[in-house]
Amino acid sequence: MNCWSCQKAVGPEDVFCPACRVLQPEPPGADLFSALGLSRGYDIDPDDLEARFRARSRQLHPDRFARASARERRLSLERTTRLNDAYRTLKDVRRRAAYLLKLLGKDPVVEARTLHDPEFLEEQLELREMLALAREKSDQRTLALIATGARDRLAAIDEEVARLFAEADPGEEALLSIVSALARSRYFENVVAEADPTAPPAQPR
Amino acid sequence: MARAIGIDLGTTNSLVAYVDDRNRPQVVVVDGKKALLPSAVHYRMDGGIEVGGAAKRGAAEKPVDTILSVKRFMGRGPGDIQPEDRGIYHFDETGSLVKLAVNHGKRSVTPVEVSAEILRVLKRRAAEHLSGPVGGCVLTVPAYFDDAQRQATKDAGRLAGLDVFRLVNEPTAAALAYGLDKRSQGTFAIYDLGGGTFDVSILKLTDGVFEVLSTGGDTHLGGDDFDRVVAERLLAENDLSSSPMLLRGAIAAAQKVREALTYQEMIEIDVDLPGGRILRAKLSRDDLEALIRPVVERTTETCLGALRDAGLAQNGGKKVDGVVLVGGATRTPLVRRHVKSIFGQEPLTDLDPDTVVALGAAVQADALDKGGRDDVLLLDVIPLSLGVEMMGGVVEKIILRNSTIPASATQQFTTYADGQTGMVVHALQGERELARDCRSLARFTLKGIPPMPAGLARVEITYSVDADGILAVSAKELTTGIEQKIQVKATYGLSEDEVERMLVESIEHAGEDVAERFLVEWRIEGERIIQSLESAFQVDGELLSPDERAHIEKRIKGLREAMTTDDYLAIKAWIESTDGASKAFAERRMNKHIARAMAGHRVDEFAGQVRPPDDQ
Ligand SMILES: [Zn+2]
Repeated sequence: MNCWSCQKAVGPEDVFCPACRVLQPEPPGADLFSALGLSRGYDIDPDDLEARFRARSRQLHPDRFARASARERRLSLERTTRLNDAYRTLKDVRRRAAYLLKLLGKDPVVEARTLHDPEFLEEQLELREMLALAREKSDQRTLALIATGARDRLAAIDEEVARLFAEADPGEEALLSIVSALARSRYFENVVAEADPTAPPAQPR
Repeated sequence: MARAIGIDLGTTNSLVAYVDDRNRPQVVVVDGKKALLPSAVHYRMDGGIEVGGAAKRGAAEKPVDTILSVKRFMGRGPGDIQPEDRGIYHFDETGSLVKLAVNHGKRSVTPVEVSAEILRVLKRRAAEHLSGPVGGCVLTVPAYFDDAQRQATKDAGRLAGLDVFRLVNEPTAAALAYGLDKRSQGTFAIYDLGGGTFDVSILKLTDGVFEVLSTGGDTHLGGDDFDRVVAERLLAENDLSSSPMLLRGAIAAAQKVREALTYQEMIEIDVDLPGGRILRAKLSRDDLEALIRPVVERTTETCLGALRDAGLAQNGGKKVDGVVLVGGATRTPLVRRHVKSIFGQEPLTDLDPDTVVALGAAVQADALDKGGRDDVLLLDVIPLSLGVEMMGGVVEKIILRNSTIPASATQQFTTYADGQTGMVVHALQGERELARDCRSLARFTLKGIPPMPAGLARVEITYSVDADGILAVSAKELTTGIEQKIQVKATYGLSEDEVERMLVESIEHAGEDVAERFLVEWRIEGERIIQSLESAFQVDGELLSPDERAHIEKRIKGLREAMTTDDYLAIKAWIESTDGASKAFAERRMNKHIARAMAGHRVDEFAGQVRPPDDQ
């Protein structure tokens, strides 16, 4: 690739042109992982992710380009928008998993529709009945118990997803297990949100 | 060299600040010996305009012609104005914009114009103080301002002839001034109770990066409400009925009482009211606190919500490392105790809560002017979710509140009727489920969808929020691949033409000298030409040979340089030269677009609401 401004060669990792220091567009085909300088994968250290986000923000943020050319201002806006999207998606383990599935050709929403788990749905119906009753009676003790229980289930799901992604080359079966785990996690996220008014709102995927 | 400035455009008072040669932010003395310029504008019968202290002092005498707390009207539609804010003002209700009628209805002014008068004075004072022209500017807005309110603030800046670099949220600006001062790290809550607005932001400060985690607020809650409840009590105690005229006098008395009770336990004064009446004000601090407690308590839920959104409310655990107070109303002892009870710690009060926002704005303006500072970066969020109206009036959220800006998101929608060729896109802001409970931002119709069975068309709607927190919407029909150019007009905003017209009118009224007027006009014209050429390059760049384009770009460069000077004749000359050089390009574009229009197919007006594709 060549620099849009001075036409000299620019590497795919170069945020700025090595020759003229002008901001470069994101390389074609780059995914959200590469927006943060990461290679594609589920296992991410949250502190490292946060540090990368801050470092990239310092380089790309529109505040650094208020006096730059219109083209650089536009690139800065585009790349920062993308960086923010990447950070938002990757810092949440379940959003990250859903995004990875999409990159691997499995749309978690579409695939989940083919899954049938009557036992799980039965369990959810019972749980929701308990929740509705406890809310009606403002039974704080039961609500706290329900929230803790749902959080434990979420933790177990996250562990299962991590284990499946850690397989050398997750096959069709492993990917579908992840789809199913993510679909189940949605139910528990909603339970936490309703049982614990101090919980931050659940993020869409 | 022109120096960048930061402006805190407040409900009751406004300030301007800059960063001095020793890198310290300083406020400019604007009104006698004070840095605070009362946000008061008096439209005199002779056509003159008074701003600041003089206007405020005359407010009791000319209440209808003196606009106070205009910030409460910014970006609002006629239906949004609260009864208590209507006060004694007369409204010109002929259009979709809020207009205040002054001078016996001979003149009507929009809130944007009134705000621009205040900004103009601040700009002039800054230029005098700095003995030179003013450069780029940062304007602060309440974090909880919605899109229409932000747009209105930006329009006011433009109308005042300011080059608005950026809108920055008030609590974030305060954090910047504070954090730099203290070299702090950790999580902070900024509690900002101004004259008319309340904001709370939770920020994480790491190595100079100020990352806003969450924000909450109420654009209709502030120190003005304290004065109002106290004033109503004073009138009742003096057996006076609460007419808007008397209320304004009583509010002035309430301000004095409240300020005095910050430092003493008891006050007893007599205040002259219009019509020769006297208001006896006798109040203890306990009385005051009993009166204002309900107002203060309205901030609790908002603070808890912001802590929750930041993920800091769970298990009643450790909350924040520090709490910063911003806004004059936080001087009230009751407010301080209340903040302490919410966040579980003594608030920090080292900096003057009245000036800290302007100081932070100045730091940010200076940083932007210098192409960013290595030691500080602000990462802010949008305060309210942005969504689109679906079938049945429900709102589908596209960008969630507390998303770091700039942000962008895309969703696909489809048609709901066979042969549907149009789609109404209604952009909304707010957290509620139904469109009627959210703020309407813009509404437009996407036309030219090829007729096909329901559910087959694919329309992609993209929301983009820029670094000022302002939204742009675009829509694209995917089966034809044609992206339609859509002019999104804000529901309660001013159109480009309206801003231009006001700009010219306001300059006529202001009676400033001719050179200054031309300078403003030609700079705006220059900016307009540059922007339209740059967007034309993007759309129709192929109509130019590289040489022709370089020829035009050279002139744009010259024009840009001229625009940084105060030489309006030079700017005018460069504008003419740029115009001349781009004439052939303009003709070619015209021909191209005429040809396209002739080939275009007929689009009928049938338009329906959007709905998601069937397989979602
Ligand atoms: Zn280069």
